[in-house]
Amino acid sequence: MRWSRWIAAFVALGISLLAGVNIALAQEADPPPPSDEACIVCHTGALEGYVTFGDGSRVLAHLPPDLLDASAHGRSGNADAPLKCTACHGDYTFPHEATYQSPRDLRLRWNETCEGCHTVQSDLTSDSTHARARLAGNNNAAVCVDCHGAHNVHNPADSRPEISRTCGQCHSAIFTIYSQSIHGAALLDEGNPDVPTCIDCHGVHNIQDPTTNLFRLRSPLLCANCHANEELMSKYGISTNVFDSYVSDFHGTTVTLFEREDPNAEVNKAVCYDCHGVHDIKAPTDAQSSVLRENLLQTCRKCHPDATADFASAWMGHYAPSPDRYPLVFFVDQFYKFFIPAVVGFMVFVILTDIYRRIRQGLQSRRPEGGES
Amino acid sequence: MTTAQATHPTDEGIPRFSTVQRLQHILMLVTFTGLALTGLPQKFSAQGWAISMLDLFGGIEFVRIIHRVFATGMMFGVIVHLIDTLYRLTVMRQRPHMLPRVSDFTDLVKVIANNLGLRVERPQMPRFNFEEKLEYWAFVWGTAIMVLTGFMLWNPIATTRLLPGEAIPAAKTAHGAEAILAVIAILTWHFYSVHLRHFNKSMWTGRLDRHVMEEEHGLEMADIEAGNVQRPPGQTVYQKRMRFFLPIAVVLTLLLIAGLIWFVSFESTAIQTIPAYSVPLN
Repeated sequence: MRWSRWIAAFVALGISLLAGVNIALAQEADPPPPSDEACIVCHTGALEGYVTFGDGSRVLAHLPPDLLDASAHGRSGNADAPLKCTACHGDYTFPHEATYQSPRDLRLRWNETCEGCHTVQSDLTSDSTHARARLAGNNNAAVCVDCHGAHNVHNPADSRPEISRTCGQCHSAIFTIYSQSIHGAALLDEGNPDVPTCIDCHGVHNIQDPTTNLFRLRSPLLCANCHANEELMSKYGISTNVFDSYVSDFHGTTVTLFEREDPNAEVNKAVCYDCHGVHDIKAPTDAQSSVLRENLLQTCRKCHPDATADFASAWMGHYAPSPDRYPLVFFVDQFYKFFIPAVVGFMVFVILTDIYRRIRQGLQSRRPEGGES
Repeated sequence: MTTAQATHPTDEGIPRFSTVQRLQHILMLVTFTGLALTGLPQKFSAQGWAISMLDLFGGIEFVRIIHRVFATGMMFGVIVHLIDTLYRLTVMRQRPHMLPRVSDFTDLVKVIANNLGLRVERPQMPRFNFEEKLEYWAFVWGTAIMVLTGFMLWNPIATTRLLPGEAIPAAKTAHGAEAILAVIAILTWHFYSVHLRHFNKSMWTGRLDRHVMEEEHGLEMADIEAGNVQRPPGQTVYQKRMRFFLPIAVVLTLLLIAGLIWFVSFESTAIQTIPAYSVPLN
């Protein structure tokens, strides 16, 4: 085991010298700084480039030769200044010491390395539910390289399905449910560019806890981001009236008011996902949809356990009343649109005639005085 | 309720409203204003002024509760009015002055014609003229609509046992529209006729000035001048009638109060039945 390290050291030294790297004899006492050419010797498979950890575990750290070059950091993604091994692994000495207790320990350490260049993203991430979980002692909470990869970093925009699959590496149960939802199926099966991936709802680096009052109260606005977007929804023939009709009805009015009074208020009024589902959201025409007429009563009963069969139809299903849909509501509205102006118009007319009389009488009673002067 | 209406004109004016009637008015004034102030910001909840009002009153959930408290107060006022009206009609044997008559419509036409200068004479009008009858019956209509639709909104599950679900949003539409109508009617018709035209204090003092009586209730004034007024019943007759009235009134009052309690406690909605996070996230 030791021998292989020494052989590797000699080969690396030899290659360094051949590559014209000038290493003075005096420097041999100190371990030489590594170079890409040196790293490649052991870590692309020519030799056994093991990494040893404090807990005794050893990991064969072999990379395909072109992996870094093909990544966002390498020649293909970053042609002007492709990163070399030492850009991230610069603090390594040779021969390597077992500095880290475990492979996970090493991965956690990369956050600081990424921060060196990606300050904005790193700052955002430090205000995330993952960062807080790590502070609370959960070392399995995701760090930069868990989501982005280490050597094979790619621009997340290159493949939207890959975004959700990435989250699914840890959140596998939710991913399975999501993949069967209208959004998830469209993303994963069809590569639809419009449906939300995980991060469209949960955010990217500063991902927040979705079980807070704040998240709940703001969630209708989240759905409205897409569902009130005329351009986006017209492609699929989906009404953009859903948000406004929600806000103007019982649940939405209260939720909106709570949100405006105190965004952290606890509220038990339904938000979009209480009726439509969260990760398992289906098209409202789907037989399994929680808001399909046939299934709606069951959904209402989650909050209104005594709901009668007709109770569900008190909800107008995001439709504006019309002579065809909810005619009673439509005609009551029409009646008052006529009745209020008629009654008020009559009252104001009678009042105006009385004012007219009083002005006339006032002028008449003043006339004799005016005549005398 | 036992205040017999004095019929003697004095220097302070002509007697018009009993103490019970004036208390009913105060109750209606307070509850109507309370209902309007807590109801309108709920109807216009997207507006900035509505949010400010709701904040001022302690938030939407609290506003909903005080709206219901005022509603209960107003319904109690309706009960008082029903019993008092029954007392006036059966014990005091007063004529039903508030019932509309054909002459009210002709008075209206005559008044408008006079106002426009098309007619010289103003009509001589009875104890309650068309202005007051219009307002009274508008209030009756409005209160009936508001109580009915209010019950439906307060107890939606119970309502949908009898009516289709569509009745709930229809009730909401009617409740809000009727509220607008009621508030505008008070701010125009009521304010003009008893505050702006001249300040009519009879709902507070119980008496109305002679010159206002002559102008607005000429028929009644002429009757009073001629001594042609209904006398309250004598002691023995009064006591005899009260022996019938009291038990009936007590039973009726208790039944109506029980109905009111039934109304306000009929159904507990999701507000009480569901804690904030019992809907599981999946």
